[in-house]
Amino acid sequence: MLTRLRATIVGLFRRDRFEHDMAEEMRFHMRAYADDLQCAGVSPQEAERRARMEFGGVESLREDCREAYGFQWFDELRQDLRYSGRQILRAPGFSAAVIVSLALGIGANTAIFSLMDAVLFRTLPIADPTSVYYLAHRSATDSSSSSNYPLLERYRSTDVFSGVTAYSGETFTVSTADGRERVNGQFVSGNYHDVLGVPMVLGRGFTNESDRPAGQPPVAVISHAYWERRFARRQDVIGQTLTIGGRAVTIVGVTVPDFHGLDSGYRTDITLPISVNVLDEPGFLGDREGWTSLSIIGRLAPGVTEGRALAAVDAIFRRFWWEPENAWARDPRSPSEFGLLMPAGKGSSWLRQRYATPLRTLMGMVGIVLLIACANVANLLLARASARSREVAVRLSIGAGRTRLVRQFLTESLLLAGVGGALGLAVAVASSGAILSLFDTGQSPIRLDVELNGRVLAFTIAIAILTGVAFGLVPAFRATRVDLTQALKEGGNVRRRGRLAVGKTLVVAQIALCVLVIAASGLLVRSLRNLRTFDAGFQRDNILLFNLSTGGPSFTPESRAALYEQLDQRLRRLPGVAAVSFSSRSPIDNSAETRGIVVPGFQAPGRHGVSAYVVTPDFFQLFGMRLLRGRGFEAMPRAGAPNVALVNEAMARFYFGSSDPIGRTLRFGTEQEFSTIIGVVEDSRHEVLREAAPATVYTPFWQPAKGLDGTSDVRGRVTVEIRATSSIEALEASVRNEVRALSKDATVWYIRTMQQQLDAALIRERLLAKLSSGFGLLALLLAFIGLYGVMSYRVARRVREIGIRVALGATRGMVLGHVLRETFGVAVAGLVIGLAAALGTTKVVSAFLFQLSPRDPAMFALVAALLLVTALVAGYLPARRAAGVEPMQALRSE
Amino acid sequence: MPKPTELLPGTLDMLILKAVSLRPLHGYGVLLRIAQISGNALQIPQGSLYPALYRLERQGLIAAEWGESDNNRRAKFYTITAPGRRRLKEETASWDRLAAAIAAAMNAKPSEV
Repeated sequence: MLTRLRATIVGLFRRDRFEHDMAEEMRFHMRAYADDLQCAGVSPQEAERRARMEFGGVESLREDCREAYGFQWFDELRQDLRYSGRQILRAPGFSAAVIVSLALGIGANTAIFSLMDAVLFRTLPIADPTSVYYLAHRSATDSSSSSNYPLLERYRSTDVFSGVTAYSGETFTVSTADGRERVNGQFVSGNYHDVLGVPMVLGRGFTNESDRPAGQPPVAVISHAYWERRFARRQDVIGQTLTIGGRAVTIVGVTVPDFHGLDSGYRTDITLPISVNVLDEPGFLGDREGWTSLSIIGRLAPGVTEGRALAAVDAIFRRFWWEPENAWARDPRSPSEFGLLMPAGKGSSWLRQRYATPLRTLMGMVGIVLLIACANVANLLLARASARSREVAVRLSIGAGRTRLVRQFLTESLLLAGVGGALGLAVAVASSGAILSLFDTGQSPIRLDVELNGRVLAFTIAIAILTGVAFGLVPAFRATRVDLTQALKEGGNVRRRGRLAVGKTLVVAQIALCVLVIAASGLLVRSLRNLRTFDAGFQRDNILLFNLSTGGPSFTPESRAALYEQLDQRLRRLPGVAAVSFSSRSPIDNSAETRGIVVPGFQAPGRHGVSAYVVTPDFFQLFGMRLLRGRGFEAMPRAGAPNVALVNEAMARFYFGSSDPIGRTLRFGTEQEFSTIIGVVEDSRHEVLREAAPATVYTPFWQPAKGLDGTSDVRGRVTVEIRATSSIEALEASVRNEVRALSKDATVWYIRTMQQQLDAALIRERLLAKLSSGFGLLALLLAFIGLYGVMSYRVARRVREIGIRVALGATRGMVLGHVLRETFGVAVAGLVIGLAAALGTTKVVSAFLFQLSPRDPAMFALVAALLLVTALVAGYLPARRAAGVEPMQALRSE
Repeated sequence: MPKPTELLPGTLDMLILKAVSLRPLHGYGVLLRIAQISGNALQIPQGSLYPALYRLERQGLIAAEWGESDNNRRAKFYTITAPGRRRLKEETASWDRLAAAIAAAMNAKPSEV
């Protein structure tokens, strides 16, 4: 086989050379012999003649040589290809059905695989990605890469790493010619690009920047995408300045196009040294009061094993964790924590963790779809093989080898698979934009690079070959197992029960597989609908939200408060606005603000936290959250009034049990003053839709929250909610105008509706629901074609028999019923097998279901009904044709 | 000069290997060499040499290279390879056994039966 392959490859590339050499070698032989004859005294012409004659027939010798050298196989392949091409073109309808089935099947597989490639397999374009690790830590319950600067300095003291660096994601406000834009970026330690080995397109990365402000103007590295977007890839970008948060920074480098930072799914466009952050947060480097968003990365020193590095990291981490000043890190639920190495060569792991199961599930589904498509193609080829049985018989009887014929059939199916695969690639490319847009939503959209790289191409080629062989082999063997005499006698109309049995079995399998895909997709679609529409305890219709930033030096706490008040009033006056509220955060906005509280009279072991909200009074009415007991917040606090708070039912239950919470007090761990609970609000699932409402404390927006150090501030970042009586989209422009009219320095960003905000939290569910329902439809369509094809073929084969029945008195209704019954028999067999299999397998999607059992009876009934209707339609068309058979015509037809 | 003997099937490959094992030869040279070392007893139909040469080359038993012939013409020269040498040894041994066995069989006398 290997020599054949080699000969084929040589044949493909060096065929001309081979022919040329062979001709020259034979010419040399004849000339040398003619020379010898001349020396022996033969006349030149006679010598030439004899040399040629005695050499023999040059053409047939050449053919023998080609065969001896292994070219025969190659030549036959060429013949087969040419023959197959003619066959494919001769039956364009048939070929189109096959190719389209395969293109959709292979295309869907390639699309999902390229997504898997982008999310799960791709490594970062950095130097030796396998030796880069997150220096993380794990507790009894989970693992985390959040660290802080003092810990980073400890890790720098060990010699198991050749370099240790860190980064922290951040969104920057960048001034542009026409206003401001928010750009994804990060603060990094000064050796970031050096340790990671990030290739640069222009300029330099950070190799030796100081992490402490050193008085020099700050520098920045920008991404290739930002260079393109903002600077139109101008070469003189190095040395230019950007104004970020009111501060000028100098660009020193541009990274390569496919480097977007380490946080997978996100695009880091601007990278600044930590020292810039320190200018705003002077305590950052010494911050030992909690884990910050800093992630630490280390590169193994040459020769150091992962085990040795882990031991060093663990020792350093545990010493740090047990130090008295780091008591905040200890959690009674976890008696100890450990250092942990997490591979960083593919970037951070959260995206892989979240999407590995959904992607594998989808891959399984498209695999099934491809099987269904293969069954169709096999059926079509079987039908055609029967039609060609006379041709096959003739060829076998004049001495063609069976292997040769099998090979020819296989060549044809591989050619079909090849064309299908090529079109499948086109399908995958065309659909990738739509699939990616499912990710691209929310405040920080997930951006993926889906590309046709070597891995994806290899996958597509492999499945194309595999399908070509899989669906081609059975027909090829069946077609060449012909009873010669019978085949030749019957003029090609060989009736073989076997072929029909195989055909029907394939259709039963198709329907069973189809049931699997449809049942799973139905469950996923209904779960998504449940999630989008169930009562989570807050309203989601007609609500517009936006984020408002009043950061930077141009604001004081007083000017901020004044801005919020004026904006509140102006927004209320807009036409169509029913309510306006300001809050620290909003339901399902992908934030989690958990704060420790002190409740006098409450004693329980462990660290407790509550979900904390700061809201204006209208927040509850706007979201439709009912006040169950007590009273709500007042519009404006009176000076000197005592601090107040509202709690939800879950909070009241946990901290006060059955006793009355109203009048009790609580204090946040980081604040000085106690607040009195004045009311209880209805529970809502405002943090995670799938989880019960967390214990929640609401405090008034206007109530000063005096910190432990005695200072209080007005929040620089708030969420503003607007409830509209009419179209909320129209409000977007007026909102921007109102803010601009009040302040040039306040930034409005991420304007969205409440439904959009919810959808952003349901990306995985929507991805699964949309794609699986697409695949379900595709599976149904393919199964329909399969059933229709087999029944039509059966009817066509039995025209004579049907004609006799009609002649003997069968009514049209009887013929129709007969064919329909047979179709139904096949469909029910497939349905029963499929439903039984689905009962066992739909649990693989149960993690994504919501308020729905993976064996939901209603869903299974719906799937059964859908398939039976499909079968009815698929069977009706051939049945009508059968009922229309004219007996005389039918009897004469053979 | 005795009449050239018909070649036994399967012996051509062995003879070619033997011929090129003595020194590198072009196709025509192989013919002349076989005639020479067999005392002109074996003559190979000229053209039928080439399929055999190509087969041996594909099997890796001989290797081919273009060079210059005695009278400065471009010619393809064949040399024996290491696997070729091994094969030649095996074939020679088995041929010897066969020849001895046939000779013994043909010399049998009625008294020995």
